[in-house]
Amino acid sequence: MFNSQHLPVYAVSLHRLNLRQTEALRTMPSTISRSATFEELALPLFASLYNHAFWLTRNQSEAEDLVQETFSKALRAFDSFQLGTNFKAWIFRILRNTFLTSRTGIATSRTVFLEDHPDTLDTVASSTPEDTLIRLDNQAALHLALEQLQPQLREVLLLCDVEEIKYKDIAAILDVPIGTVMSRISRARSTLRQLLQPQLGESL
Amino acid sequence: MTQTPQTNQSTEHLNPGKLNAFIDGELPPAERQGIEQHLTGCHACTMGVLSATQLKAATASAGHRFAPPPEALARLTAHFHSQPQAETRTKKSARIYSMTSLRPLAWAALAAAILLTVSLLGWRQLHQTNALAAELLDQHLATLSSGATPQVISTDRHTVKPWFQGRLPFSFNLPDPAALPPDTTLKGADLTYINGQPAALLLFTIHKHEVSIFLTQRTPGPILTALPSSRSGFAIHSTTTHDLLIVAVSDVNPADLDLLVAALVRAQ
Repeated sequence: MFNSQHLPVYAVSLHRLNLRQTEALRTMPSTISRSATFEELALPLFASLYNHAFWLTRNQSEAEDLVQETFSKALRAFDSFQLGTNFKAWIFRILRNTFLTSRTGIATSRTVFLEDHPDTLDTVASSTPEDTLIRLDNQAALHLALEQLQPQLREVLLLCDVEEIKYKDIAAILDVPIGTVMSRISRARSTLRQLLQPQLGESL
Repeated sequence: MTQTPQTNQSTEHLNPGKLNAFIDGELPPAERQGIEQHLTGCHACTMGVLSATQLKAATASAGHRFAPPPEALARLTAHFHSQPQAETRTKKSARIYSMTSLRPLAWAALAAAILLTVSLLGWRQLHQTNALAAELLDQHLATLSSGATPQVISTDRHTVKPWFQGRLPFSFNLPDPAALPPDTTLKGADLTYINGQPAALLLFTIHKHEVSIFLTQRTPGPILTALPSSRSGFAIHSTTTHDLLIVAVSDVNPADLDLLVAALVRAQ
């Protein structure tokens, strides 16, 4: 499911090893080596995971706890991670599943999400493309619009635009078909644009 | 992604789904090429792609909003290494290594982890201060463009300060015009964000030089106070009061900038 294109550090280190060394690394029973490999992959993602966790929990200490629990779970499950697959997508999936079992996550999941209505996806906006070249440098308006976006739509947009994760990996993280990812992205951007129009209108 | 016939690709307008897949780099090369060909002759679709790309870039910037507290990484690594070894060690490894033989390795790993943590924190600190300086300079440069109009245009501090009520989770004072340094004028103000925090952006002129003053809530940690004193030829002066962080950016003489910042500090 996951690909190897997002593993530059690990890929380079593996290239430097010959086949025998690689095999030795795989079979080495040393916890230290395993833990070091895990840290090499996971620590660079700390800031991204924290940012995403904050968007999910909307609370600093909860976000930190969520990331800490994610790291613990990921380390424990690291043996099940397939070398050469997408580690970022793998650990983001753990983060999300951990969130869903938390108190905040359970409360959030009670919110009914009207899933993907195809008839609303292909509607062309009434404004002209020139109208939509709006003042997107207005950070305050963008922050507000992102806050107002439905959590499920915001989540898919953050994974796509902020974390730059491919559709198929987002589908794996969210545990939904790739078609659902595409329709949610379409709907998220359309909604975001609608939310931005009046706010920017006031400030112009 | 499914492959679609290429025959009429260059004449078909982009639907939202296709447009999103295009800007997200999710299309196969042949399909992407067909769309690029279409865009060379279709103004409406080109504007649509430009607008969508703008929105994507703006979302990426706005979504990268919450930075972990400086000490969070240290807490995480401490948590990592405090976890019971038995939880992660396999039975096989337990048979192979005695505790005695593991001890030097464990100390070495601990030392490496501490070194890594310190290095990461140092790198992160440097990276964040540089990124913040770049963000502040970008915002200052944006105010210099002729099309950028502040949300409140006024030289009257009694107009500017109340405008922020309800827009910021903190308050601040503006100095009386007489208390400002010579040839220094308040032009207006804007609401902005720095380092993911809401901030007031005050626009001044000193001898025809534009000055951006950012006021935001003071947060714990040395990041914001460790800003470089200049970037790309612009002076950056940061200082703190009991509750506020004040950062000034301008190409004016640094001594004149200091006088303005000092006047703002005195007013708090």
